[in-house]
Parts: sequence; structure tokens; C-alpha cells
Amino acid sequence: MLAVATMVAGAGAMAAVGEGKGAQPLPGVSDPRQAHIDYMLKCQGCHRPDGTGSAESAPPLRNMVARFLGVEGGRSFIARVPGVAMTDLDDRRLAQLLNWALYRFDPDHMSPAFQPFTAEEIARLRAQPLRLERIEVRERLLARMEQEQAPGK
Amino acid sequence: MAGFDKFAERLTRNLARGSSRRSLLAWIGGTVTGAAALPVLPVSRAVASEHGGGGGARASQSTGNIQDPGDPASCDYWRYCAIDGFLCTCCGGTVSSCPPGTEMSPITWIGTCTNPADNRAYIISYNDCCGLSSCGQCMCNRNEGDRPQVRPQSNNDYNWCLGTESAVYNCSTAIIIGVALDS
Repeated sequence: MLAVATMVAGAGAMAAVGEGKGAQPLPGVSDPRQAHIDYMLKCQGCHRPDGTGSAESAPPLRNMVARFLGVEGGRSFIARVPGVAMTDLDDRRLAQLLNWALYRFDPDHMSPAFQPFTAEEIARLRAQPLRLERIEVRERLLARMEQEQAPGK
Repeated sequence: MAGFDKFAERLTRNLARGSSRRSLLAWIGGTVTGAAALPVLPVSRAVASEHGGGGGARASQSTGNIQDPGDPASCDYWRYCAIDGFLCTCCGGTVSSCPPGTEMSPITWIGTCTNPADNRAYIISYNDCCGLSSCGQCMCNRNEGDRPQVRPQSNNDYNWCLGTESAVYNCSTAIIIGVALDS
């Protein structure tokens, strides 16, 4: 029962963030409500309502997903992972969903210079989906992140 | 002995003369088709099971809400349109909670079902309950929107007991988490 309550509360909070009238429009997200519902239908089952994911099935988005934008190859990686590239949404809605998820789950790592994904870019990237090599590619990108952050610390 | 022989011969010859091989084939064909068609008749089906499997005498349940019509202990209940598993309502839980002793999986199979009360599509999360062995009551397998295993994120044949202490499957709930957009 606690899990249910948490889930419902999580969904409610997300709705408030995504659909608040006074909220700033997110770049590359023309319809935040549609993006949120697409997230619920296509992603949330594994990545969970709050984007924390799980070790067994889907890596976390929360405080993580936008870090990929900062390393070489990371931007294409998040559009080419199987769950994104092969989901049955058209290019425009998939681009919107990715932009929405980046701002929703990892605002702290979003650069002001971020260029939102466009339908054209998504169409190009999803034509070459990652398959089993996704784990290896992700490991490599994580290592790159660590390297690039080390000198700054 | 010869008389018996003659009698048998006459019988066989009479039979061969009086009936064609084609009529025998037609008779066998008709019987086979008829036997196969019998269970397809609606009378037989209605007795055998309800929609999606399951069945058995069971007291009906109600949500008590006219906006949420139907019997949650029946496979025909609207929220079960994409379910594949045992109904928690028959296993000591409810349509949105797990039976005692089980843990609800946070990783779920999600689909949409149309509510007959308002004809809107609701987003339904089929959270599995895990940690006890299979409940075995009210099997319900409707699978609308289910995709083959080459699309793992849209396939409900997997064990969705992920992120729980135990991966042993007990039963499935059907929780409303939102209203889908018309498109």
C-alpha cells in the first residue's frame, strides 16, 4: 500500500511540475503534458515515476541523464539506447520526450547552452540503434565522465 | 465352417456394393469437423470459461463507484485489458494492493484501458506482487497491446518482479496512474 501511495504521489508531483501554468516553457518541449504521458506509457514502467530506475533493468535517469550531454558521444548515446530508439513514438514526440526527461530528471546538469533534440536529429540517430553493445558504450562514457571531472576537483 | 465363410463374404460384398468409399470419407470428415466445431459454439464457451480464462464459482466484488464499473474479481473488469497473470482480488489483495506477505514490484508493465463509464483511456500500471509462490486463482490473460519479445519493454510475458526482495511472482494488480490524451 505504501508503494501505491508513493507512486500516486509521485505521479501527482510530476503532473504539477510538468503542467503548472506559471512554469517556464522547457526548450524543445511544445506539449509537456503529452511528454509526461508518453513518459508514463513508454518509460516509467522500468525507469520508475521519479526516474530512479533499478539496477536490474533500467539505469537511473535522476541526477544522471544530462551528464551524458557533457561527454563526447553521450548525446547520441541517449538517443540510440534501445528503449529510446526503438520505442513506437514518431520522431517529433520522441524528441520532445527526451528533452522533457532531461529537464525533468536532471535539471542540475543541464547547460544553458543545451540545444534541444529535434525530430530530424532523432530520426538520424535512431536509425542506428545500439543493441547489446549498449552496456559497453555506457561504461566507456561513464569512465570518460570520471576522467574529465577529475582535474577540476 | 464353409457356411460361416459364405455368410461373411456375402456381408462384406453387400456392404461394398451398397456404400461408396467417398461416402465413408465424407462421413469421417463430417465427424471430425463437427467435433472440432462443437467447442466453438457460444453455449459451450460460456460454460467453459469467462473472457481471458479463469472462471470458477466466486462471489462478485464491486468497487462501489459508478465511475469504476464492473467486478474487479472478474477477468472482464475493464482495467484488466492488458493483464497477464493471477488477479490479486482473488488472492487476498485488491485491485490496487498486494496480498499480505507479498511486496509490490516498483518495476511494472504499463498500458491503457478504456473505462466504459466515460469512454476515456486510462493509464494502468500492472504492478506485480512478489515474494510468495503463484496464487493460482483467477488466471487472466488478455494481452491487449502486448508485443512480441523482440520488444521487451512492451512484452508482458516477462516476470516483472524486479526491484523487489524476491523475484517470485504471486499475483497482479491494476492501478490507475493517469488519463491518456486522445490522439
